[in-house]
Amino acid sequence: MRADEDVVDQKKYLEDACKPKCVKPLIEYEACKKRIEGDESGHKHCTGQYFDYLSCIDKCVAPKLFAKLK
Amino acid sequence: MAGGVIIRLLKRKLQSQSTGFLALSSYTAKKFHEDVGSAGGMKSLRAFALLGAGVSGFLSFATIASADEAEHGLACPNYPWPHNGILSSYDHASFGGAANYLKPFTWKLIRRGHQVYQQVCASCHSMSLISYRDLVGVAYTEEETKAMAAEIEVDDGPNDEGEMFTRPGKLSDRFPQPYANEQAARFANGGAYPPDLSLITKARHNGQNYVFALLTGYHDPPAGVSIREGLHYNPYFPGGAIAMPKMLIDGAIEYEDGTPATESQMGKDVVSFLSWAAEPEMEERKLMGFKWIFVLSLALLQAAYYRRLRWSVLKSRKLVLDVIN
Repeated sequence: MRADEDVVDQKKYLEDACKPKCVKPLIEYEACKKRIEGDESGHKHCTGQYFDYLSCIDKCVAPKLFAKLK
Repeated sequence: MAGGVIIRLLKRKLQSQSTGFLALSSYTAKKFHEDVGSAGGMKSLRAFALLGAGVSGFLSFATIASADEAEHGLACPNYPWPHNGILSSYDHASFGGAANYLKPFTWKLIRRGHQVYQQVCASCHSMSLISYRDLVGVAYTEEETKAMAAEIEVDDGPNDEGEMFTRPGKLSDRFPQPYANEQAARFANGGAYPPDLSLITKARHNGQNYVFALLTGYHDPPAGVSIREGLHYNPYFPGGAIAMPKMLIDGAIEYEDGTPATESQMGKDVVSFLSWAAEPEMEERKLMGFKWIFVLSLALLQAAYYRRLRWSVLKSRKLVLDVIN
């Protein structure tokens, strides 16, 4: 019986591997974070940039993920 | 301020429209003169309606970009499910080593998926449209399924003495429900109702990909977004705040066949299981579709040929116009 803990989750692994491809949206997101730092009103948020970043990661991960799964 | 602009725009639009109409007929001109005085009037109302539609259309388009991203949820990516193709079915590959010319749902996949459902999801989610007998020949043998069914207790109808009794489950019984009714389910889950999963992949847009993305897509919320206590952030869930916590944790279950139970593996298996549960007829449907499209294409070719054959007499007529001196 293989120990589950030894095997890294495939999706997480691919997401980390795809990070270099998605640097641009990540930079946008970090820039947004900086912009809204210290905002007290609670209305400002970076959902748009976050979604762009996640979309990029997803597009990169999706075609490869199932090849790694049984 | 915006209202004043709109009113001025309106007046200008009305005037330009009115000059056009005046040119058309004297009747309309008379009508227009009558209408100018009153607030209503056919021509001005139409112009107003047109302009209103245009303005509201523009405004709604503007708001879509800003507020709706979180409300719609992040669009889920499309994963290459093995049963996706026009000729691909649920892989019945290796339960007895039977090879199929179609690529079907793996027995293993549905089997593992059912295991995930039973151990992780069944404590909150019902699947009240699926019976144990549906699993026979698809994920388990009859004996295995009977044994599985016998593990649950089922309430059964009045006996000869008129009393209700409980008995071990049979193949014909539905999957057990975790809660007696919706209210009990909501009460136990902070007001949220864990939906029945029997048809969930058909009940959500792009169901398979959506469910997989949702289950494996728990992330930290973006900067500026805070989720209240009791809810969890999931970008794929419309609105972003879902009541279900992340359930697929690496190593949460141990598969019978020894496959490492990572989050993505469990996600793939359970979504394959849910796809099968929602569309058990998928293989037969694809086979039938392929067969009938082929047959009807042949019939189309035959019909086209026959039509042209019969019409050729008329289509190859020659009409000669002759001038007689």
